[in-house]
Amino acid sequence: MGLTKSEFESIGDRILSQIEADSAQLHLRQTEDLQLRSANNDITSNGVVDRFRIDIQVSYGKRSASIEINQSDDASIRDAVGRVQQMAKLAPEDPEHVPPVEPGEYLDPITFSEATADLSPEDLLSRMRPVIEQSRAADVDGAGFLERSVTSAALINTNGLFLHERSTGVTFSLTARTSEGRGSGWASTQATDASKLDLATAGERAIQKALASRNAKRREAGRTTVVLEAPGVRDLLSILSWNLGKRNYDEGRSFLNGLVEEGDKIIGSEAFGKTATIFSDPLYPNAPCSVHSGGIPRQKTTWIDRGVVKNLIIPRYWAQKLGIAPVPGPGNLIMPGEGETTEELISKVEDGVLITRLWYLRQVQPQTLLYTGLTRDGTFAIRDGELAEPVNNFRFNESPTNVLRNIVSSGIAERVQGSEASSPAHVPPLLVEDFNLSSISDAS
Amino acid sequence: MHRRDWLKGTSTAGVALLTSRWGLAADGAATVSDRFPKLAEVALNRATALGASFADFHIMQTDSESLYVREEMVQGVSANSKLGCSVRVLVDGAWGFAATEELTEDALRRVTDAAIALARGQVGWRAAPTEIETLPAYEGSWELPIEIDPFTVSLDEKVEALLAINRSALEAGANYCYSYLLGVRERKWLANTFGTRVEQSRVRMRPSFSVTLIDQKQGGFASRDSLLQPRAAGYEHLRDWQAKDEAALAVEQAKEKMAAPSVSAGKKDLIIAPSNLWLTIHETVGHPTELDRALGYEANFAGTSFCTPEKLDTLQYGSELVNLYADRTTPNGLSTIGWDDDGVETKGKEFHIVKDGIFRNYQMAIGQAALIGREGGSNGCAYADGYDSIPIQRMPNISLQPGEDNSVTTESLIADVEDGIYVEGSGSWSIDQQRYNFQFTGQIFHKIKDGKLDGMYKDVAYQGNSIDFWNACDGLGGIDTYELGGAFNCGKGQPGQGAPVSHGAVPARFRRVNILNTAEESGNQVAHNCDCSGGGNSWA
Repeated sequence: MGLTKSEFESIGDRILSQIEADSAQLHLRQTEDLQLRSANNDITSNGVVDRFRIDIQVSYGKRSASIEINQSDDASIRDAVGRVQQMAKLAPEDPEHVPPVEPGEYLDPITFSEATADLSPEDLLSRMRPVIEQSRAADVDGAGFLERSVTSAALINTNGLFLHERSTGVTFSLTARTSEGRGSGWASTQATDASKLDLATAGERAIQKALASRNAKRREAGRTTVVLEAPGVRDLLSILSWNLGKRNYDEGRSFLNGLVEEGDKIIGSEAFGKTATIFSDPLYPNAPCSVHSGGIPRQKTTWIDRGVVKNLIIPRYWAQKLGIAPVPGPGNLIMPGEGETTEELISKVEDGVLITRLWYLRQVQPQTLLYTGLTRDGTFAIRDGELAEPVNNFRFNESPTNVLRNIVSSGIAERVQGSEASSPAHVPPLLVEDFNLSSISDAS
Repeated sequence: MHRRDWLKGTSTAGVALLTSRWGLAADGAATVSDRFPKLAEVALNRATALGASFADFHIMQTDSESLYVREEMVQGVSANSKLGCSVRVLVDGAWGFAATEELTEDALRRVTDAAIALARGQVGWRAAPTEIETLPAYEGSWELPIEIDPFTVSLDEKVEALLAINRSALEAGANYCYSYLLGVRERKWLANTFGTRVEQSRVRMRPSFSVTLIDQKQGGFASRDSLLQPRAAGYEHLRDWQAKDEAALAVEQAKEKMAAPSVSAGKKDLIIAPSNLWLTIHETVGHPTELDRALGYEANFAGTSFCTPEKLDTLQYGSELVNLYADRTTPNGLSTIGWDDDGVETKGKEFHIVKDGIFRNYQMAIGQAALIGREGGSNGCAYADGYDSIPIQRMPNISLQPGEDNSVTTESLIADVEDGIYVEGSGSWSIDQQRYNFQFTGQIFHKIKDGKLDGMYKDVAYQGNSIDFWNACDGLGGIDTYELGGAFNCGKGQPGQGAPVSHGAVPARFRRVNILNTAEESGNQVAHNCDCSGGGNSWA
């Protein structure tokens, strides 16, 4: 399934043979998506969508331009090549231009599964139907989304680079709402290999959360201890990872500048708590990712090791200016947990809140990486080490920095879907002190 | 022809994308658009023969160009063009949808079969069949009127326009700045089994910039983004923008913001400029009144709504001053179009969402009005963001209508505030999944003291409940203060779709709104002893 390496080579040759520019890089992608969406315990929309994308970047000296098209016939390619070359010739020189990457040493990717690629629309329907029937039987309104994607891609350039990668992914999520509208639960599951996707367990978690979250009691906002389940942890870690750029730090406009005293360096500083360790690894079995970023090889990269900042993201131009190696951004996020069950984390809390999921996270203050957002789909009071009762939802105003400084303990890591990012992540639930629940949300 | 051959370009059915007329064939002798009726016939006839009670066929081409300039370096010159088609079928009350970028009869047969199979796969286990109203058949075309086609303006001219913005900011003292320009053209051709055949074209522009200042002595930084809003318009939208002046002003305001006192948290009166209020309208009125949300269709992603159907015609959404009007016909509106993507004519479908403060109507797509017992069917709010997306209910232009007294200005609204804030420009935004609890920031927070502007605050966010907020509105600017704001890419749906939408607004006054100090929210200790001077750095 998908174009083979030699077929990509053939298309690449056909395009490169028309290039007159000094250098060029092609990114060719073929995707085959299957989607099923449900609400109120019926399928509401769906799709079988095949796509092909041709991205062409060309440069004349330091003048560059790019174009992306989705038609692969000779006339369209000829037209695109002509236009992007014309654009590049007209573009002013960019002093920060970097030429296409040289071929490097790449790991063998583990992002593809035949079982996932072989799924048919009928297979998806047959997997979705039992979850819908599960919701009907529990008398909840289930709204879900099941998506299978298969991607075959090649990165080719005039420096002799040819990288071919295939990847698959399948994701399911379900929001169950009780019929009177006062209880809501959510759960998801995600895998590279569809045979490892367990819809029934995710469905049951969402349904049980919905039933348990009915008749929420009022709890006042304020700084409190929380058990943050893995999807919320993943959102906060994604936010952190987007802001780990060395250039912004060097230019004095990063939250990282506020974490060190003047004259100190962020690399090697103990900016976070000792239990905070975050790395990315393209070969992490439970959440693999691409082995390169724009042709730069990805290796296992530790960002934070027991609270100490180890690496920042360094784009090619900035690395060249500083005379150091570039560091590509993370393709996945891994945070090893300490292995405690969620129940064990709860048992350590005298008075606090269990948060299932975060929602609508937006930056409020870049200087401190303060983000706001909300809890949803299952928020519960914890008292004396046990779940006490469902409570109202909250708006939070909190920074991932504070969260990573205030970890008490962590649970069993799992691959989870978040609200704000789609790259693979394998993270644990966290027990966190002093989490700023800023105001009450009436949403249920 | 097999898809594999098509991908490898071994077909002769070429479709050149990037010429001025869409779908112009490679030999220039005939346009691919001449083939659209034949392709539609293949898809719709096959769908009908295979049991579809309704089917539609969309062809869409989306072209875009973007430029990114950092300081005085042109770092992003890019273009994008996507052309493809989709088939949507309704079989025994179940939808099926499939899409491809192959504009061939073979591909259309394959895609139609895939859509039919998805629909048929639900037969026998659906709880409730989908039913849709019968729509009139339309034939015609619609094109957004523009003065200058942005795709015909030279790259030199566009680059120079952005460089001039950045030079102005740097000369005014910015440490960093970037400017950005995005132009998009959508071309659509729709056919359905009701007999509709319509062709449409529209263009939108989004110019913007951001300046950043670094406090070299004390550390810290401040940014100020441009206030100009995206618009359905041609290149004239950038040409008419006094961008260099605004860039210089932005630098001065960023300097003032960096030195401003940190706000004291608590209740204050707000005057909100249209450059900020458009987004508040979008989040607190636009999304809650989408009928598909209210009925649970978005529960797994965007959420549901506090605005449930039994509240129609009874809910006091806002004070009696508040009138919120929806349409897809506003000149320069980002949602403006002739027919929606269900084939509903938008002219004549304008409606009040809130009239004299009372909640009156939802935004609806095909098949939804009957679910709440409303006659008249869809009010034209369907949209698909590309050839590969199924049409779903999306927001029309929703605007806050001016107050009746045309003499009311921003200044006269401010004059009636003892202790308040005048907010300009949109910043961050967040709202819960049922649209009760919101929190917004902005670009500039002017301090109001005894009816007059008195410097700036920093670290400001306003937070509240949608209904409480709109009921706290006690002043609206007159028609001369009306401005059109909007979003280029409002997100909704699974898989996610982006939709452009405009929101007109006048400056409005809201009493006793909850103000947060964002520095305190992040755990910093803040001294407020400079709060009376309009200047000075209050970081502890």
